[in-house]
Amino acid sequence: MIRTDSVVLTRCVQVITPITLLVALYLFFAGHNQPGGGFAGGLVIGLIVVLRMMAGLQQESFARLLTAVGIIICSAVAILPLTWGATVLDQHNWKYDLPVLGELKFGTALAFDFGITLIVVGLAMAVVIALSPNPQSEELV
Amino acid sequence: MASLVTLTVIIPMIGAAFAMLLRTQRWLRELVVSSSLIFLAVASTLILLDVKEGATIVSRVGGWAPELGVVLVADMFAALVLFVASLTILAVEIFSLFQRRTQFGSDLSITGPILLVLSSGVALAVLTGDLFTLFVSFELILISSYVLLTHQGQPGQIRSGMTYVVMNLLASTLFLVGIAFVYGATGTVNLALLAERIPELSDGTRIGIGTWFLVVFGTKAAMFPVFSWLPDSYPTAPTTITAIFAGLLTKIGVYAIIRFHGLMGFDDLGALILTIAALTMVTGVLGALAQNDMKRILSFHIVSQIGYMLMAFGLFTINGVAAAIFFLFNQIPTKTVLFLSGGLVEASEGTSSLKKVGGLAKHRPEIAFVFGLPALSLAGIPPFSGFVAKFGVVASGVAAQSWWLVAVALGVSLLTLLSMAKIWVGVFWGKPADSTDSQESSLSRSDRSYQAMTFAALATVGATLAIALFAGPIWDMSIRAAEEVLDSSSYIEAVMTE
Repeated sequence: MIRTDSVVLTRCVQVITPITLLVALYLFFAGHNQPGGGFAGGLVIGLIVVLRMMAGLQQESFARLLTAVGIIICSAVAILPLTWGATVLDQHNWKYDLPVLGELKFGTALAFDFGITLIVVGLAMAVVIALSPNPQSEELV
Repeated sequence: MASLVTLTVIIPMIGAAFAMLLRTQRWLRELVVSSSLIFLAVASTLILLDVKEGATIVSRVGGWAPELGVVLVADMFAALVLFVASLTILAVEIFSLFQRRTQFGSDLSITGPILLVLSSGVALAVLTGDLFTLFVSFELILISSYVLLTHQGQPGQIRSGMTYVVMNLLASTLFLVGIAFVYGATGTVNLALLAERIPELSDGTRIGIGTWFLVVFGTKAAMFPVFSWLPDSYPTAPTTITAIFAGLLTKIGVYAIIRFHGLMGFDDLGALILTIAALTMVTGVLGALAQNDMKRILSFHIVSQIGYMLMAFGLFTINGVAAAIFFLFNQIPTKTVLFLSGGLVEASEGTSSLKKVGGLAKHRPEIAFVFGLPALSLAGIPPFSGFVAKFGVVASGVAAQSWWLVAVALGVSLLTLLSMAKIWVGVFWGKPADSTDSQESSLSRSDRSYQAMTFAALATVGATLAIALFAGPIWDMSIRAAEEVLDSSSYIEAVMTE
């Protein structure tokens, strides 16, 4: 990628990476009942991936893999209810009572959201690679 | 059966993901792409047979009621279009399977997965029961078409791709704003509920919504005066891509017009639609006469044929709408196979310009056959399927006593024959051109890829002949589809009852 040996950029990106990932994680889980969700979380992760690639902290891209796996997860969530006779994209929720965290709710929507996140991150990577001046970039996508 | 309807949308999508992962494994990837398309073809055949026997199939996604969620509705009209569209995509996939990476061949590692996304979008557009999902499916189709059109990155493609993208983005924006209008006026985007509520709106709002969506869908369908992007961009794409675009994209626009304006009962827009239809027919065919390249002539004919469908639909009679549906059904494979024959000409001669090619009837009679029959069909010569389609259109015009429209339709038919004759004389008669500059990209007849392409094109010709053979049953199904489209109560009942 664009190899600039700017110490400021590199250090800053290194520092904000974990914070951004935490924000993304929050958005991802908040999305069930509040603003946020897989798409917003994916965008935030995508942003940090773009920054890391521009700062030269990350060379390789898994755009194709992430997008494909994301689509497969989403489609699998859509189709699976058919196996027990429900309609496509039928929802199911599980509740657990955990000692410290309290009541924890999981839904099939969570897996779907995770697929969306993967697609968005993959897309962000693909965009950076496609716009980079590297002539071999097409092979990376 | 209801789950099969949803699978027609999801299976191509999963196929696209796997084909993307298998990008470098050529045969494995093509196996995934082909088997997904075969699944789509088989599923749509089963759906058509089931709808023909019984009633409309409705699938509520996630089990939500139509007021809240997304419904997929496979009525007669949807089943017919899905059936012919999926078979056409499959034929084009077989055509492109053995194509080598030449100047005219598309890059299969990109087009394979994207073609599946496009198929998924087409299935969704045809089956959807609400306006917003229709928008999403249009976007699926358009975004994949942007990639297909420009993926080779040649200068001409990028230039015309710009026009194409800008035009379609504009139409998509108008579409979205239109959905907001409709929601503001009626409080729903579900087609069945809209069919109840839109006729109750005041005349001004109602006509406003109708005209707005006529512009939106008309841009996608390339009707007059918003057609200029089509003959500009289509010929620049690789042949297999143009064949799919020609067969499907504009027809989905027409499908949306028939579905939306028919179901909402916009009879009072009939005069407007008829005027536009006549202008579309005439400008399309005149544009075709002025061109000197096989693919460009055929691109202008897409526009001209859209006029026929709009004309039959604009009459708002059962016979008229049935004629439009039959015409649509017939146009999808006919247009595709004409472009495939253009692809064969390019594969054998290295160009499709009328001035540089000649004498193909003598040394490549199979291409002449693949082009000749659909060309006669397009012009409306009996006993081909195009004759049945045009006869239906003209007969409904006579029944409605719109004499001037009938005159225009017949005149345009004659001019269509003239421009087909122009291609025939230029490409298939005359002296073989000394094609010194195109030797490298031409394929010999013994080449396996050439044989496979010819086989796929011949199979599609066979399909168009089958339409003529089974014109009776297909016409009956079109009549039933037209009745269901015009009489919204059956559609509403099918969607709303559990």
